[in-house]
Amino acid sequence: MKARFAVIAILAFIGMVDALYLSIKRNAGPIPCHVTRGCTDVLTSRYSEIVGIPISWFGVGFYIVMFSLAAFKVFEDPQYPSHGLTGLIFYLAGAALVISSLLVGIQAFILKAFCEYCLLSAALVLSMFLLTPSPARRKLPQ
Amino acid sequence: MPKALKPLIVIVLAVALAAGAAVYLSRQPDQPEETAAATRADIKDGGHIRGPEKAALTLVEFGDYQCPSCGAYHPLVKEILNRYPQQLRLEFHHFPLVTIHPNSMLASKAAEAAGEQGRYWEMHDALFDHQREWSDSPNAEPIFVALASQMGLDSNKFMQGLRSPQLQDRILRDVEQGQNAKVDAVPTFFINGERVHIKLSMEDFVQVIDAHLPK
Repeated sequence: MKARFAVIAILAFIGMVDALYLSIKRNAGPIPCHVTRGCTDVLTSRYSEIVGIPISWFGVGFYIVMFSLAAFKVFEDPQYPSHGLTGLIFYLAGAALVISSLLVGIQAFILKAFCEYCLLSAALVLSMFLLTPSPARRKLPQ
Repeated sequence: MPKALKPLIVIVLAVALAAGAAVYLSRQPDQPEETAAATRADIKDGGHIRGPEKAALTLVEFGDYQCPSCGAYHPLVKEILNRYPQQLRLEFHHFPLVTIHPNSMLASKAAEAAGEQGRYWEMHDALFDHQREWSDSPNAEPIFVALASQMGLDSNKFMQGLRSPQLQDRILRDVEQGQNAKVDAVPTFFINGERVHIKLSMEDFVQVIDAHLPK
């Protein structure tokens, strides 16, 4: 089980770098894509910020929280696992997955442009969600 | 060592490492494989010129009227031309990214059609100023016609221009020049043939122009 949370922590670390990179680059001129087309379109669109704050900064916050929670899970005493922490990771990843899906939808159907850094983030969120054990399927104590 | 200390140390180290990595990556050139030759471009002809004929600097812009970032840069480009009225001129080349911007080619044609009646730059400004009104429209043509008629253009001539294969060829020549100059994002700027990266801020624009002005 620890290995799962270690992988989640690694994914969250990659997400942190991705989101921080985007936050720094956002106002540093056009951002050329290497795989997709339209990174700058996506990152300067009206959907790229909430109340004036770029979405990428919310991403930074999310990944720091996910990394922290996963780190606490990795270092916890296996005899006394915190199911509350697992549940928190699961629901946070689930909420992020809903938001990520919405953002991918905006790219596909409204902007008709894709940003590879945003797609990477969506893939990371999906992986973290799939890796987190669902609290509903938790084994009852013997 | 208290139990909670280990994860806390790991978290602090990871955040610091991630910040370092992001700053390092953001400072890398956008195209590391780009050779010195590719950062210079020989853009010989075409393009529309705004500013004095004998300006010391020519700011070449490859742009797409439907691209939001080109729209965001537009007021900065106008402002920089106002700040350097004698030293700087703009040479605008069409680079419509038709795969992601379905109205961009028609918008370029609208600018060219207005140009046929001597009003290219007015339409250029209007297209950017009204970008949000036509950008997502499934039928942008009536919006362009309305803009043309607000400018007092001859509507029939304007409509002919929108369907003119010659004007389309002119736009495609610009696109070819952009491809030869390895333009891969819009807007892309060159100053006197040298590719320059300008941030979306007036301060950066001024800094870049000042750095290129003859001493």
